[in-house]
Amino acid sequence: MTQDTQAGVLGVQKKKSTSAFTRVARFMGIRAITLFFTVVIGVYTTILIANMGGYVDTIMRNDIRERVNQRVAASTANQNISAETRRQMADELIALEEKRLGLNTPFAIRSFRYLTDALQLELGRAQNMVSDNGSRTVRNIILERLPATLLLMGTSQLFLFFFSVFIALTLSRAYGSFWDKMVITLSPTSAAPSWFYGIFFILLFAAVFKILPFGGMVDAPVPDNKFDYILNVLKHLILPASSLIISSLFLSIYNWRTFFLIYSSEDYVDMAKAKGLPSRDIERRYILRPTLPTIITNFALLVIGLWTGAIITETVFLWPGLGRTLFRAIGFFDTPVIVGSTIIYAYLLAITVFLLDFVYVLVDPRVKVGGGK
Amino acid sequence: MFKKSFTFAFALLIVASMVLAACQPAQTTPTEAPVVEPTAAVEPTAAEVVPTEVPTPEVVQTTRKGGWLDEIVFSVVASDSALTQIGAGAIDIYANGLSSKDLPAIKDAGVSYSTSSGLYYDILYNPVGPEFTDGRLNPFSNRKIREATNWLFDRDYINQEVYAGGGLAKFFAITTQFPDYADLADVARKLESYYAYNFDKAKEVITAEMEGMGATLVDGKWMYKDAPVTLVYIIRNDSDGTRIPIGEYTAAQFEALGFTVDRQMKKGSEASPIWIGSDPVEGQWHLYTAAWSATVLDRDQSNIFQEMYLDSSAQGIPAFLDNVSDPEFKDLGDRLATADFATVEERHDMMARALELSLQDSLQVFLIDGKGYIPYVNGMVATSDLAAGIEGAQIYPYTLRFADQEGGTVRWATQDLFGEPWNPIAGSNWAFDQGAIRATQSGDIMYDPYTGLVWPLRIEKADVVVKEGLPVGKTLDWVTLEFAPEITVPADAWIDWDAANQVFVTVGEKNPEGLTALRKTTLTYPADMFETVKWHDGANLSVADFVFGMIMTFDRAKTESAIYDAQAEPGFLPFQENFRGFKIVSTQPLVIEYYSDTYTLDAELNIPLMFPTYTFAEGSWDTMAVANAAEAGGELAYSVDKALEKEIEQTSFIGGPSLEILAKYLDQAIADKTIPYAPTMSAYLTADEAVARYEALKAWYGEHNNFMVGTGPYFVDQAFLTEKTLTLKHFADYPDLADRWANFGEPKLATVELDGPGQVKIGEEVTFDVFVTFNGEPYAAAEIKQVKFLLYNAQNEIVKVAEAVAVEDGLYSVVLDAATTAALEAGSNKLEVAVVPFTVSQPTFTSVEFVTAP
Repeated sequence: MTQDTQAGVLGVQKKKSTSAFTRVARFMGIRAITLFFTVVIGVYTTILIANMGGYVDTIMRNDIRERVNQRVAASTANQNISAETRRQMADELIALEEKRLGLNTPFAIRSFRYLTDALQLELGRAQNMVSDNGSRTVRNIILERLPATLLLMGTSQLFLFFFSVFIALTLSRAYGSFWDKMVITLSPTSAAPSWFYGIFFILLFAAVFKILPFGGMVDAPVPDNKFDYILNVLKHLILPASSLIISSLFLSIYNWRTFFLIYSSEDYVDMAKAKGLPSRDIERRYILRPTLPTIITNFALLVIGLWTGAIITETVFLWPGLGRTLFRAIGFFDTPVIVGSTIIYAYLLAITVFLLDFVYVLVDPRVKVGGGK
Repeated sequence: MFKKSFTFAFALLIVASMVLAACQPAQTTPTEAPVVEPTAAVEPTAAEVVPTEVPTPEVVQTTRKGGWLDEIVFSVVASDSALTQIGAGAIDIYANGLSSKDLPAIKDAGVSYSTSSGLYYDILYNPVGPEFTDGRLNPFSNRKIREATNWLFDRDYINQEVYAGGGLAKFFAITTQFPDYADLADVARKLESYYAYNFDKAKEVITAEMEGMGATLVDGKWMYKDAPVTLVYIIRNDSDGTRIPIGEYTAAQFEALGFTVDRQMKKGSEASPIWIGSDPVEGQWHLYTAAWSATVLDRDQSNIFQEMYLDSSAQGIPAFLDNVSDPEFKDLGDRLATADFATVEERHDMMARALELSLQDSLQVFLIDGKGYIPYVNGMVATSDLAAGIEGAQIYPYTLRFADQEGGTVRWATQDLFGEPWNPIAGSNWAFDQGAIRATQSGDIMYDPYTGLVWPLRIEKADVVVKEGLPVGKTLDWVTLEFAPEITVPADAWIDWDAANQVFVTVGEKNPEGLTALRKTTLTYPADMFETVKWHDGANLSVADFVFGMIMTFDRAKTESAIYDAQAEPGFLPFQENFRGFKIVSTQPLVIEYYSDTYTLDAELNIPLMFPTYTFAEGSWDTMAVANAAEAGGELAYSVDKALEKEIEQTSFIGGPSLEILAKYLDQAIADKTIPYAPTMSAYLTADEAVARYEALKAWYGEHNNFMVGTGPYFVDQAFLTEKTLTLKHFADYPDLADRWANFGEPKLATVELDGPGQVKIGEEVTFDVFVTFNGEPYAAAEIKQVKFLLYNAQNEIVKVAEAVAVEDGLYSVVLDAATTAALEAGSNKLEVAVVPFTVSQPTFTSVEFVTAP
């Protein structure tokens, strides 16, 4: 009986464990497939939009024709060259250019080629863009801008995130105080975008006070040694990073403070307060802990959001980041670069979403993978 | 309470200060009234020979060689902050330049500036019709309506309102500041006067023609087949943004005539499928705000009528191909484009008639010659090419300096850097990149930034022989020009390249029956050139550099070549059609003969470029050999087309993944003691000499991390591609003194003043004085090509065109004899004077009004 009972308990445990494994495996499988198809749909939609459903081919053909004709006209001006020779020269150049850009293949076929290449992370070569170091591989175009973007976005967004959360947590415990009201009052300043602050700061600190540079990532000429180089880059980082931070700071604090405020007024917090627990413990155990899934989600999305850069702020400060690269790619209708940037972001987003489900389980015991709370 | 109020006030203060800062008006200075410069008569002249000298240094004496500066540091700056940055001392020059609409801001900032040609703007009409395929009327199929729109648009108004007076009113396809305009100024002025803004005249002509085409004016609106005549107007809203107000203004003028206008604001990429890509007969557009550019000082615009109006246009755009021009205009335009004229005088007459006919055709109605403005700090000397500005001027590296100072650093800002990989064959052609590359190279000749002619830079002399009867003349003494009944190409001259065997094909082999050419040019280089001229890596220039350049003329276009590139073929085609051979007559001194069937009207411009300055940069034979090896090895390609096709990197001498590949092939060349194209080059190069060159290149690469080796006054010291900065340093081994080109510091634009009586009695002789000066000093008569005057009567009709009489340096006299004044009626008359110097192609105009009374 005991053995049977034990066997039964083991069997139930084994069954439970098998069932948990199956549940998790099934969840993982379904979630992975769902996310993959979402990525496929998202990327293909991007391809269609970036190419205006194939109309970009028409734009590019005409652009090629205009450029080549003008080039031929300029190079053969006032030369005793027959119209036929000139036409032949132009036609050959047009054909070469169309071939180079793949326009001799129908867009429908090319669109699926873009998609399959992208899904395999074969980013290929840009059509019109070139990396700063002269390479046409999409990988190089993106990678060379990544450090600058991570530096600017990482510095500003991570500072913004942690500072906001820290201040908000404190303010949530000081509801109605002077500083709480100050933050509420200043939160509308976030209505102005970061580039607005950028221009303002440039006028103030570069043009008037002349203490910080107008833009760029480093002085020209570039400092000789690495230490000076790093200091110089940091000097150039101050204004763009500040404009990104200031433009969102008060609103971010306000958001988090309101979010924490809800948890701060829960009964169990009041109970803890009544028990005489120190404020630090209350904040850490009773407010911060139940809000961790939200905080982690926000943080994870923030980290992958760094990938997109800050298009206008980078432009205002001539910061060589990914945002400007993507902006230029859209202007050039450079599908490989647009798709390359999108697929990386899509994969990062999908992986993050996938992993977050497991992270929730770790930080919140009420959550079960595939089983809800 | 206090805290609350304080918080609120503090927040309000911050927000208000930011809003105020953002809302600060861009400019508060009122724009200047447009300066309408009168033009004057310039009669046709044959190519004249004027005594000229090779430019000699002015006051400054120096022992410094090469450029004046120690460094030029390049960086990227947004155009909208350029003036602020100059004002704040962050940069010294914004070389990319600003547009005409920024001129008031430049003046307000109190900085110096130079000018260049900008875009020129016009309206292009769809000429098909009278009906489109769907039955709608196309008024612009009617040449008379197109012509009448010249009266419809007030060009001075556009210049004032859109370009702050910084452009020039433009009526013709030829550029207003180029030599052809100066040559045709009398004809041009007459036509400009005839086609001056006259709304009523436009309305009268257009009304008559519209009615003739079957349209009716109902309640002030033109109707055709019971539907309003709606003009589909493609207005570009990108580029410099000035085509929006031009489009709005011209559309309003059409609406004032009774047309309905469908304004379609589009970016270039959206517009081109319509105005270029659609069949004009579909009627997707009626008119388009076009713009073109003239970035080189073109001394011969003979082809412009064909290119801008005729169905034989090289533009190859359907609107041009479908234009049915007047047969006389078509014939003239085609003949001018193929130089089908015997003398300069005949060409002048043809051009004059073509100007007139072009306005009658008016496939395009030209409106404004835009100008670019390049701002820089006061106290800097920067030579600006009249067309290409500073960045595009070959001469700028030789003259750029701070006044009265040797050395120093110029902080050169531009729009961008490293737009494409840098290589001499098919590398970056971006103006900002070429601006930097230009400072690293020298060459055979120096383009005169003010006349478009050339001066000897490295060559010592050039002897040009053309076939008798061809309309070629010369201006400068350093070139000789002769005519010969026949020019025979020597049998041992090289005319082609056998890529398989790597040897030249001689004329005797390819044309055993003999070969003649229309033109022969003999270039003679200094005897000590191979000792004095050095590459930046310290190697001496050698004859092998020249021979390698000759080989590269052919090799990439030959299918048997290891570096064959299909992209090279189309450009090679027209060259091959007219090339008749070259021959190295002597190597010490180097003398090269060049034979061709192409020629230009100026002997100075019939000089081929034999120096190893390739299309996009200079290249020593060793650098090129290494790049060729990398291409032959399938790891790099000069052209983007081939790089993409082969899925390899495009060759870059300045940075990126190319460098390691080039370094690898350089090591290989050293190890193998490679003599490139050995069957030919061995005659000019030994293996030891080759290795010495390679070693020098390797040392250079080790020190500067690039392969940009030139012979120019500055060398590439450091390039940071992502940071987009570049440092060029002074090349101390440059052979010429720094002041060699000092007298090109600024263009000798004449300042002209007219003085005479304000009232003239009809029938009496009267004299006007013309004072011609430069910087307050009399302009030397020997440097003045023409001083012409143009007399207008009270009806604004030209009644006399003649030449002023030279009295002394800087003083000319215009005498209106008794018969001339007797022919004038009582009223207000005008005398205009055009002064055309030899030293600058831009004429100066001025005018004075006087009253005639009995």
